[in-house]
Amino acid sequence: MPVSTFMGLHTSLRGLLAEQRALDVTSHNIANANTQGYSRQEAQLQATDALALPTSGRLGTGVDVIAYKRIRDSFLDLQYRTQAMQVGAGATRAQALDRAELRLSEPGENGIAQRLNSYWSSWSDLANAPDSGAARQALIGDAQSLISAVNALDVGMQTVASEAAAELSALTGAGGELQQVGRELAGLNGAIRDAQRVGAQPNDLLDRRDLLLDKLAGLAQVSVADDGAGSIRVTLGGAAAPLVDGSVLTWPPPAMTSPGGTIGALMDLSSPTGTIASYRSDIANFAQGLTAQVNAIYQPAAGTDFFAYDGATATLSLNPLVTAATVRAGAGGAGDNSAALALSELRGTPGSADDLYARLVTRIGTEVADARRGALNASALSESIEDRRQGTAGVSLDEEMTNLIRFQRGYQAAARAMSATDELLDTLIDRTGRVGL
Amino acid sequence: MISRGVLADLNDVSTRLANTQRKMSTGKELTRPSDDPFAVGRAIALRTELDGVGQYRRNAAEAEAWTAATDVQLGGLTDIAHRARELLMQGSSGTTTPSQRATIAAEIDQLVDAAKQTANATHGGRSLFGGTATNVRPYDMVSDAYAGDGGDVVRTIGPGVSVIVNVRASDVLGNGADGKMLETLRDVAAHLRGGTAADQAALTGSDIAALDSSIGDLLGARAQIGTTANRVTAADDRLAELEEGVRNLLSTTEDADMAATLIDYSMQQSVYQSALRAGAGIVQASLLDFLR
Repeated sequence: MPVSTFMGLHTSLRGLLAEQRALDVTSHNIANANTQGYSRQEAQLQATDALALPTSGRLGTGVDVIAYKRIRDSFLDLQYRTQAMQVGAGATRAQALDRAELRLSEPGENGIAQRLNSYWSSWSDLANAPDSGAARQALIGDAQSLISAVNALDVGMQTVASEAAAELSALTGAGGELQQVGRELAGLNGAIRDAQRVGAQPNDLLDRRDLLLDKLAGLAQVSVADDGAGSIRVTLGGAAAPLVDGSVLTWPPPAMTSPGGTIGALMDLSSPTGTIASYRSDIANFAQGLTAQVNAIYQPAAGTDFFAYDGATATLSLNPLVTAATVRAGAGGAGDNSAALALSELRGTPGSADDLYARLVTRIGTEVADARRGALNASALSESIEDRRQGTAGVSLDEEMTNLIRFQRGYQAAARAMSATDELLDTLIDRTGRVGL
Repeated sequence: MISRGVLADLNDVSTRLANTQRKMSTGKELTRPSDDPFAVGRAIALRTELDGVGQYRRNAAEAEAWTAATDVQLGGLTDIAHRARELLMQGSSGTTTPSQRATIAAEIDQLVDAAKQTANATHGGRSLFGGTATNVRPYDMVSDAYAGDGGDVVRTIGPGVSVIVNVRASDVLGNGADGKMLETLRDVAAHLRGGTAADQAALTGSDIAALDSSIGDLLGARAQIGTTANRVTAADDRLAELEEGVRNLLSTTEDADMAATLIDYSMQQSVYQSALRAGAGIVQASLLDFLR
């Protein structure tokens, strides 16, 4: 079989076109260098089928782009998502506990520790001047300031918990981030399946879907199953049923057994058995301890309780019968200060209210420090995984610049080859057969 | 990828810088419980102790004032008792005429009133000698009955350390007819006026003995108050030392070490600046600079 005279032109043309596609892909990469979630693409070139020549073997016919490959390591995606869940949970928890810690205003002059000190000192001052109106007034004032600090701390913790609950319902409620992400995932699933059915490569849709999965992983534990036809099934937080299956979004989301991520942290913070709730029960213990210890001494001397603690509403209050006029330093004469002395001796004893409070502060401090450390660790790990992921999937401008030069040169060379063929044909067509002209 | 790394490192350094700056501006090593939970717990306990010690010192000052006031009044009572004893010696001598005795008896009556007035002394508006019935006067001018109670005025000057700072008038002057100083003086006046041989015998015998025993009671009370005052002063000295110690401990626990913090600060600042410079260099450089 003879080879066409114009074969060289076609071969060069294929080269030109392929280099141009490769340049287009490079431009696309450069354009998306700062696009979140974008994966580097690569035009995969392959030599076209050779012409089999009966006498002289096989003759190459040029090149073709067989695919636009999306360069991404799905194993790193899995690692990243596991870590993103930790980052989501850690950051949410650290922020909320940070707010809880701020409510303590410790160490300092405005915290409960200082008010307790003032309160015990007031008893001591009253013991020094049992019949002094000023000392009684100061005692009642200090007691009230202690009460309001204790109640404000509990309300502050309640606020932190209800803020977490509000954030949770904003995330998981109708129109929240979870629903939006789910809806978009379902839509993308449909689009990707349709594109793949007709043999197209919806690289940018896949990138978008992976980005949404990353986002979802920050919210809760995500598990993804691919159906092989372009769709994925996404299950959230170990739920029995998938959140997104193909192009179907299950709403409201199926109940999660191990949510993890931001949602898990928020659930813990707002739960009546969660972290903040346990701080509140520590505060209640402290308030009850204070009430019991003070009343145990004050009641026999004065006949009335000093503090009252309502467990149902978690409020500490002054017994309404105790006023600056009625408060007593002891059961005996005007100068009897036995009760006031015993009460002032409560200061700092082991198991005292001070002790309970210091333990509460230490506990919150430790847990905040832990949460902060955990969040930092998780984000350091996720950064390093992200680095590796970017190393694979990220656009390196240096590399793209190099490719740009490579493909440009390739294009130039292909064009030169075409000119060479052209000159060849020129010789053949214009300069041959002119003998005698 | 490089720019992300640079950004993360810069954030890290600037967070540390901000922490150091906060330490410098507050002068505190600990500003939040999470900075060092155990140190904060310790600081709270130390602060409680410091406040307690301060309170004990205030109590000690109060106790010193009370004992000093009591001592002054007991001194007055002792003077009265000594004067009464002089008068008794004069009146019991055989050369004293009945009219002179009557004058002496009148003076002794005056001394009884003076003693009761002294025992009614107050400190800061509170009766010194009425036990814990600090709002009533121990004696009225009509009877010699003690109107106070048997309570002790107690001040706490240390953890579990309390002192009794008062003397009850019933212990030194007596409560009506109980053989104490008031009754003795009344007896002396009556015997001076009586003029019988039995009166004379009582004046030179039992009255002197009774008066001496009353003076003994007073001296005993003064000695007791003096001892208490010494104890309180010694305790206050100890408390001052303790206060200093606890204050030092608290300071080492929660105050920033300024020298170390300043060095940290300038070091972190130069690290930050060089990180910025290096970052600027790396982020700006690109292959684009070298292609035509």
